[in-house]
Amino acid sequence: MIGEALKGHLDLLLLTILSDGPAHGYAVIESLRARSAGVFDLAEGTIYPALHRLENQGLLLSQWSEDSPRRKRVYQLTPKGQEALKAHHAEWLKFSKAINTTVGI
Amino acid sequence: MPGPIPSYLHALKRQLWLRGMFDSDVLAEVESHLLESVEAGLLLGLTVQEAEQRALDRFGSAKLVARTFEKERRDGMQKMLFALAVLMGILIAFVDSRPTWDDTGITAGMMLLSSGLFTLLGHRRPWLIALAVGLWTPLYETYLSGNFRLPGVILLPLFILLITFVGAYAGWAVRLGIRKTFHVAS
Repeated sequence: MIGEALKGHLDLLLLTILSDGPAHGYAVIESLRARSAGVFDLAEGTIYPALHRLENQGLLLSQWSEDSPRRKRVYQLTPKGQEALKAHHAEWLKFSKAINTTVGI
Repeated sequence: MPGPIPSYLHALKRQLWLRGMFDSDVLAEVESHLLESVEAGLLLGLTVQEAEQRALDRFGSAKLVARTFEKERRDGMQKMLFALAVLMGILIAFVDSRPTWDDTGITAGMMLLSSGLFTLLGHRRPWLIALAVGLWTPLYETYLSGNFRLPGVILLPLFILLITFVGAYAGWAVRLGIRKTFHVAS
């Protein structure tokens, strides 16, 4: 249930995490899990396709980092991604406010 | 016998390849993730086998991951290329059916080149493009001639599809080669 609900808002979550700074896929997933206290626990492999899609849309930029012993593909937000994050954020506020008002929270 | 991580990567490679989405960068990224996940498991005090199993369980099956890639990449470009391939197939069938048209070599060349072009431009399923371009001419020929007898009704489609499959897979292979060269260069 949570997994399905999360998929509709995955872009907002991934862009938010990457707005803190560049990170590789593993770190993004760990951050998603930690920030949600384990509630957002999707199959890790399903996050990469979303990261690649966001990159194809020009919202993220990736490059292989050779700094650590193991090569890592590091993602970062582009200016277009920052704009998209603002738009997603505004949409989410509107949506969550409407839900809260409807259910009386 | 390979360990669970190489086996998983092999399975993922196969699943991606079957969907026309094989990308060595994706495999390298997944491998890096799994190894980091195994290291995290070892730090938690798990054995190597337990840590590897935990990493794979958390990552999801190769089929699920490949399917998610496919879903995320099924964008407008793919649909547009497929629609153009269908239109091209119909156009070739129409031209080929004209009484004044008598050049089988040019028809075959058009099929070969157009199939190759659509996969070179980025369609990820060569077999689909081959069918989209190559099915119309034999259908039209059979319909016009009314000849449903063997072996013609089988041999003509097979011959035409052989041409479009060769073209589509050649375009796909060239595209993979270009991508590989680009990645190596960068």
